[in-house]
Amino acid sequence: MKYAFFPGCVSKGACPELYQSVMQVYPRLGIELEEMTTASCTGAGVLQEKDQRLGDVLNARTFALAEQQGLPIMTICSTCQGVMSQANHRLTTQLDYLQEINDILKQEGLEYRGGTTIKHFLWILLEDVGDEELREHITKPLGGIRAAPFYGCYIQRPTDALEFDHYPDRGKSLERIIEILGAEVVDFPGKTRCCGFPILTINEKNSLNMVATHTKDAKSHGADIMVTPCPLCHLNLDGMQTKAAHQENTVIDLPILHLPQLLGLAMGMDPKDLGLKRNIISPESVLAKMRI
Amino acid sequence: MTSSSSYDVLVIGAGLAGMRAALAAHEQGASVAILTKVHPVRSHSNAAQGGINAAMTDRGDQWEDHAFETVKGSDYLGDQDAIEVLAQEAGEDIIALEHMGVIFNRNEEGRLGTRRFGGQKRARTFFVSDFTGQAILHVLYEQIMQAQIPVYEEWFVTSLVKDDHGRCAGLVAFEIRTGDFAFFCAKAVIMASGGLGRVYEPSTNALICTGDGMAVAYRAGAPLMDMEMVQYHPTTLKGKGLLITEAARGEGGYLLNSKGERFMEQYAPNMLELASRDVVSRAEHIEINEGRGIKGCVLLDCRHLGRHFIQDRLGQIHAEAKTFANVDLAEEPLPIRPGMHYQMGGIKTDIDGRCWDPQGHWKGVPGLFAAGETACVSLHGGNRLGANSLLETVVFGRRAGRCAANYAKTLPTPHMSHTTIEPDRQLVNTILARPGQGERPAALRLEMGTTMNRHVSVFREQEGMETAYQRIQDLKARWPGITIQDKGHIFNTGLVAALELGFMLDCAEAIIVGALTRKESRGAHFRTDYLDRDDEQWLKHILLYHTPDGPPHVDYLPVRITQWQPQSRVY
Amino acid sequence: MHTTLRIRRFNPEHDQPSSYYQEYALEIDPSDSVLDGLIKIRETVDDSLTLRCSCRGAICGSCGMRINGHAALACKTKMASMASEGETIQVEPMNNMPVIKDLVTDMAPFWSKIRQVHPWLQPEGPPPTTEYTASSEAMSHLNGVMACIMCGVCVSDCTVLEVDHRFVGPAALAKAYRFVADPRDTSSKIRLDTLNQPGGMWDCTRCMECIQVCPKSVAPMDRIMSLRAKGLAAKVSSTCGSRHAEVFTDIIKHKGILDEPMLAVRTFGLKNVGRLMGMLPLVWQSVVKGKVPLSGPLHRPIPGIQQIQRLYKRVRSKQ
Repeated sequence: MKYAFFPGCVSKGACPELYQSVMQVYPRLGIELEEMTTASCTGAGVLQEKDQRLGDVLNARTFALAEQQGLPIMTICSTCQGVMSQANHRLTTQLDYLQEINDILKQEGLEYRGGTTIKHFLWILLEDVGDEELREHITKPLGGIRAAPFYGCYIQRPTDALEFDHYPDRGKSLERIIEILGAEVVDFPGKTRCCGFPILTINEKNSLNMVATHTKDAKSHGADIMVTPCPLCHLNLDGMQTKAAHQENTVIDLPILHLPQLLGLAMGMDPKDLGLKRNIISPESVLAKMRI
Repeated sequence: MTSSSSYDVLVIGAGLAGMRAALAAHEQGASVAILTKVHPVRSHSNAAQGGINAAMTDRGDQWEDHAFETVKGSDYLGDQDAIEVLAQEAGEDIIALEHMGVIFNRNEEGRLGTRRFGGQKRARTFFVSDFTGQAILHVLYEQIMQAQIPVYEEWFVTSLVKDDHGRCAGLVAFEIRTGDFAFFCAKAVIMASGGLGRVYEPSTNALICTGDGMAVAYRAGAPLMDMEMVQYHPTTLKGKGLLITEAARGEGGYLLNSKGERFMEQYAPNMLELASRDVVSRAEHIEINEGRGIKGCVLLDCRHLGRHFIQDRLGQIHAEAKTFANVDLAEEPLPIRPGMHYQMGGIKTDIDGRCWDPQGHWKGVPGLFAAGETACVSLHGGNRLGANSLLETVVFGRRAGRCAANYAKTLPTPHMSHTTIEPDRQLVNTILARPGQGERPAALRLEMGTTMNRHVSVFREQEGMETAYQRIQDLKARWPGITIQDKGHIFNTGLVAALELGFMLDCAEAIIVGALTRKESRGAHFRTDYLDRDDEQWLKHILLYHTPDGPPHVDYLPVRITQWQPQSRVY
Repeated sequence: MHTTLRIRRFNPEHDQPSSYYQEYALEIDPSDSVLDGLIKIRETVDDSLTLRCSCRGAICGSCGMRINGHAALACKTKMASMASEGETIQVEPMNNMPVIKDLVTDMAPFWSKIRQVHPWLQPEGPPPTTEYTASSEAMSHLNGVMACIMCGVCVSDCTVLEVDHRFVGPAALAKAYRFVADPRDTSSKIRLDTLNQPGGMWDCTRCMECIQVCPKSVAPMDRIMSLRAKGLAAKVSSTCGSRHAEVFTDIIKHKGILDEPMLAVRTFGLKNVGRLMGMLPLVWQSVVKGKVPLSGPLHRPIPGIQQIQRLYKRVRSKQ
């Protein structure tokens, strides 16, 4: 199980605890990684607002680099995953378009042949590691913890680019993981909705309203924590939660964990090693509940 | 009660004909409003997939050819003066639609492109992929929004109102959302309420196509004409009867029987699958009846057109076949069969949409106009050519709108000396108040629909039609006893269904009476007991007038012939 | 097979109207749509069950409703695809619009947003005597957006409208795109300037709900992205939305990966003291937690950034 590792800008920037925690957990699961140090940002859907073709060129470059490595790509961000999946979908379903993009890459000695697989760490856990293997590493099951899943739009939609037809369980993958880790799944309507991050700088009020709605909702459904495979969702749900609560004249205080952080806890790792000190909303109460 | 409103011109229905009429009347400076039982873009004009005909001289086509093929398609029952107007004005109306914003498909020169359609030797059908009706409908609604023409959405018309001189002076309707009745005063009313497909089961028509306008006008004294001429479309899906556009054949699709034969070679050696619809539907029925069908269907084969072409030019039916029949048109043939599709007959009008004759050769209702499928000008006679229905809506919708506006200018606001709302409101209250577990409108409608589809369809004969007539009389007798469970006033769709059923029963009766009267075979009206066309006796229109209690009163009008004498009809 | 339709009902004429769920057990054919199921209930069990429906073939746009939580056309949704043998299917009215009765919603707010984008062709001067000449490629791509049937499904599931009813919404923006991208329309700049305002094209949060639920593959969000690109190309006045996209693209050009603080500062603009001050608590919070990302000169570009810059140049030159 070897992958070309695409960490994404945010795990190297504003969410260093994500990078830290994934680095802690992956070696124990039989995963090997080769980090793609020369890969560019996917464009995150923002660069695509300006020029989608440019975005596709940058991502085709990344796919071509992985092809050279002979490895599938592993992402740890719903947005990176979704943007790359969409680009790959366009490139592999419209061959004349792929040709056009390759014409641009050619002068760099690059060519994308259309064979790169891109998988989020979340999917790898279930599809490649497998739940049996995964269960063997769970030394500290999260019994008694009620965890609300929060996916991030880009790993839920559009389902054709994300190959939900071939992998129908992807739509419920986060719930599956929570169950395997021994926690209780808190189902709530907002789990596949938008966290509001993309409009944080454009319409902060709406963005914060989304944060407040979903975190409050999860909490009212009994959640102790929320877990997300998307660092952009994390930035908003965790980093902006206090401000969102203030905007709505309420107190929310729902710890938001990155997926590998929650996984690491269930694997018996030290919260410090998982970067939990860096989470803005303190997860202390949950750690106490877990008797850590 | 909502307070009355007054307009120069009121249009009933907001499909293509209604909106085109409203825009034309508005351009003439009339005050106009539209009443419609559904939002304009929900109208059934949406369902016209394949295109709209026009013979454009700057493209080397002749309007006379289009007119002749329409006359021939009608089996010589269409009025040739009206058909000439249709063919001559077609080009201008299509250009007008293009200027309004319709995104017609274009050719390499960047001009509007055409495709072939049935019953015509030239490709003269302009189109927007395979959702032409929808594309035009939405653009006309854009124009209505721009012109700020008031639209009374989800209002249900229960009757027309006449003034003391017998002129149409408005209508009574209720708002479905509130149940409130209102009288709308108008100098002219344009009926553009569409067809009556739900009289049949199954039908390609939407659930809203219940012949309301025909019945309302008929009850008010306007004659219905050529009601026996009911078109069965050759390609509909089994089950609910959804339409598969004729463009599938126009673009090159084949019809195959169970032996894999292109059976149209036997029936129409020249035009094959593109013979007129009555001819193709009969051929399919014969194939199926003689054991060369597959589970009651024959096959539409588009595989040779290729996936790309199908997705580009027939994208909607590609999706439709996938969704509703689980067939990928690019990979397998699609089982199809003839299904009730269109009413050639309707409210008798002249070439300006008038439902009365200023010369007095036939009786009607002054001040009432009609356009579109609800009207019978008559353009289609015994059989309508594909892509002439959209054309009819825009040409004759425009003409009716213009004429109605000019007519309204000559009149003062109608004066009403009596209350008008009460009878209709009482009828509704009676239905709502009726207790007990009586019969449901849906059950009666199903009985009517299956009866019509069995006895008054592609092949007809005296005994079967008499059976159907008796059944319809029986259903009419049972209608006053139907009950609905919903006793509310707000959005009572059960109530709407009950009233629609009453209208449909009138239409069904008219269809059967027309069909029993016409003792010949012509166009869509094919009688196994009168196999031939009989021009000596039956080259004439059948007019039906409503009578309060008995069967309709039957009258006749000669077919108007200008330059094409009847010939034998071979494709 | 068997299924149960669990339908959210609301009767405005009850003494104290409130919505409730009612269940109907049905025996169905695998080919039956949700609409078939609802009509069966209406015709044989309870005619007070209220919904809009007409064409049965996904062209009239009447029967939008939420089925198992997502908006869809009932006529296009097979019951067998929503539930296995014996399972329940939940049917509710569309979101983001008032309910009139049962599954019937008030579409007036929907249409007022459509009217807001002046949805009619605005050519310049009198029309030519014959049709406008335009290349097939310039026109035929508009078929995709003209396929919109105004069913309201995208609006129902829009995440932004859920929190802000002033957003013009996916359907109206797709409709606006239809005119902006039409070579016959000469009001594109005015349209884009209007859409550049708050509540317009930059308020979409790119959640892709509308792409996922649209029954006609109109992909409203993709149209919104195209509007943004057209807006930037037409040099609409600078707003947080337009700067965000411009600055993001520029940062990737120079660094290959994102410099987050730089993006925020340049998006707000150095003159926007209010917004910049507003960031201070966030910055402080990050300092305390040890998660301040490197920025400016401290933020190193990826190795081989020159290749990225050459690709930028080549893409630009091909436009």
